[in-house]
Amino acid sequence: MSFSVPELEDAEVIFDIGYNAPVSHPLVARHIVRAKKKGCKIICVDPRLTETGRIATIYLPIKGGTNMLFLNAMAHVMVTEDLVDHDFIEKHTTGFADYAKEVAQDKYAPEAVAAATHLDPDDIRRAARLFASSKHTMTLWGMGITQFSQGVECVIACSNLSLMTGNYGHYATGVGPVRGQNNVQGTCDMGVLPNQYPGYQDVMDDEIRHKFEKAWGVSLPSHVGLPLTYVPDKVLREPDPKKRIHAYYIIGEDPAQSDPDLPEIRRTLSAIDLVIVQDIFFNKTCEYADVIFPATAWGEHNAVYTSCDRRFQRVRKLIEPQPGCKTDWEILCLMATAMGYPMHYDNTEQIWDEMRSLCPKFAGASYEKMVENHGVQWPCTEDSPDDTGTQYLHKGAHFATADGKGHFYYYPWTPAKELESPEYPLSLSTVREVGHYSVRTMTGNCRLLADLADEPGYIQMNPEDCQELGIANGDLVRVVSKRGHTITRCQETDRVSKGATYMTYQWWVGACNELTSAALDPKSHTPEFKYCACRVEKIDDQKQAERDVKAQYTAIRSRMGIEVKEV
Amino acid sequence: MCAYKKIDTVCPYCGTGCVITCTVDTEKNQVIEAKVSPRGVNNEGRLCLKGLYGWDYLNDPQILTKRIRQPMIRKNGKGTPLVEVSWQEAIEYAAARLKAIIKEYGPDAVMGAGSARGPGNEAAYITQKFMRAVVGTNNVDHCARI
Repeated sequence: MSFSVPELEDAEVIFDIGYNAPVSHPLVARHIVRAKKKGCKIICVDPRLTETGRIATIYLPIKGGTNMLFLNAMAHVMVTEDLVDHDFIEKHTTGFADYAKEVAQDKYAPEAVAAATHLDPDDIRRAARLFASSKHTMTLWGMGITQFSQGVECVIACSNLSLMTGNYGHYATGVGPVRGQNNVQGTCDMGVLPNQYPGYQDVMDDEIRHKFEKAWGVSLPSHVGLPLTYVPDKVLREPDPKKRIHAYYIIGEDPAQSDPDLPEIRRTLSAIDLVIVQDIFFNKTCEYADVIFPATAWGEHNAVYTSCDRRFQRVRKLIEPQPGCKTDWEILCLMATAMGYPMHYDNTEQIWDEMRSLCPKFAGASYEKMVENHGVQWPCTEDSPDDTGTQYLHKGAHFATADGKGHFYYYPWTPAKELESPEYPLSLSTVREVGHYSVRTMTGNCRLLADLADEPGYIQMNPEDCQELGIANGDLVRVVSKRGHTITRCQETDRVSKGATYMTYQWWVGACNELTSAALDPKSHTPEFKYCACRVEKIDDQKQAERDVKAQYTAIRSRMGIEVKEV
Repeated sequence: MCAYKKIDTVCPYCGTGCVITCTVDTEKNQVIEAKVSPRGVNNEGRLCLKGLYGWDYLNDPQILTKRIRQPMIRKNGKGTPLVEVSWQEAIEYAAARLKAIIKEYGPDAVMGAGSARGPGNEAAYITQKFMRAVVGTNNVDHCARI
């Protein structure tokens, strides 16, 4: 995020697109509610009526998969009604004239995109005027932008709106992609990426690579590595056995539950020669493991996490680890040593300090400073106690580009890769729910949280669709896509539009990733979890279906090592 | 006699970065409760239900699945049961097999997936260092991609 979370309370306009804060980040949602109480106007763009949508000044129930059309229509209004900040554009940006010409085309007039986006043209015009009315417009997006095959380009399209209205570079403005998990920001910061070393340093840059080679005493590869979404391709479809992936070392991740197109993932994991799993709980991926290493969990080790607004914070060991478990870094050091590269650290601070010595962006963020300052937000470049980090990025509208300017890029709309058809007439999007987290091995093993929702999960459906299919709220239904099928419970709600359905991804029995498509964004290689086609089938014998679900759940739990007492 | 200790830490769930004060019974080696900490910049003395009740998995109540407490390997190859082994045997087995694969197919035949959850930044740094410096590949990624 370019800003800090508490700044949201001083926003005059919040532009919330494809982001369900009350469910994904309840404590970020609290800042949105407090902003509204102080008079902030909220624009919420989401195909489902979320709680943010409910308190929004303008709620735009967009048709899934049309984000770019809508964003270009917003830009069209700003350009054609001359709502842009000419002074800011001239001083701090490049490429506006070409961009403006493209978005000014008639095909992006709100009236012209109304049919495809399902939006009222007047609402789009009002939203564009409201967005451009303030220098404290703050944009928030989530996976409703990024988990599409046109994700990256829509991120840039969001940024264009902030650039052309002068909404960058000062307090309470800018853009906020709110990171999902506790440490996705940190894992990016630390270079667990195929193209970057820690600190966002390019693996292709000779000077940077030499720095790491010197520090680590080895020669390092100069080509970019493989994104993990390419693993199925590199196992199942690579004709040359020499070029296939033969070993997969998986740490704290459960692809057999969380990745798209699970039937394909299962074929992939079965075909890999060596699967090493390092985790805290037995999970679905463990069933394919050749080696399992037991790791310590949050609460059993010290660490630093990075929050969504770039804040490094100390995470403390609360209790002694379960006997037999080791920290992830100790296990990796043992592996390294056994493979002929001796690696040893006494504690996490030694690792942290080695990392800081190689990463200019994080160089000044010592453990000591984190304790003294309620965490440290990067960039923090200097050791001096005066450098306490950076609250918001691009101060004075100086951007982290070669010329220091913000760049406009125009992109036409690319529809979702798999659209509804007569055989699969509904759209399916994966979403989150507040009580459960990721693949739920943690929250599903917390007594108070486990009771909130249980197998086989649910599919949210519009009442008209339910009526047409003769399905009642709470019925078990069969959901089918080109990839596979699953069984889940119907949740009838008028918060979702006719033709659209939604499922959460943590259920074993009602696993939505049996259905999802592995179509990728060509730039980020992120799967299109937010759109594929499916159909919902009524199940006539509900009693038998209930028994089947229970039997399936019991069978999976027993494979996970749980003895289930018959009730 | 009980020995309770209060420890400030960061919530392991979403990316907000809420600070939690946990009360720990050091004799029983158990977390007793989680309460809000006034020292969290983003949560300012509030928590959601995951922050308040999401630590119970540390007690391994075995509702859904259970903690792994011992290294395991499939000694007799694919399709045979996992068997518990010592740390030394597991590390030697995994290291030998990884080395053999690297020798036969090269380092790019190995893929690494790091964790964006519990382990934290130091473990993430070591993950990519292991893949790059020890295995010799940039094939390392994590769930920010998905």
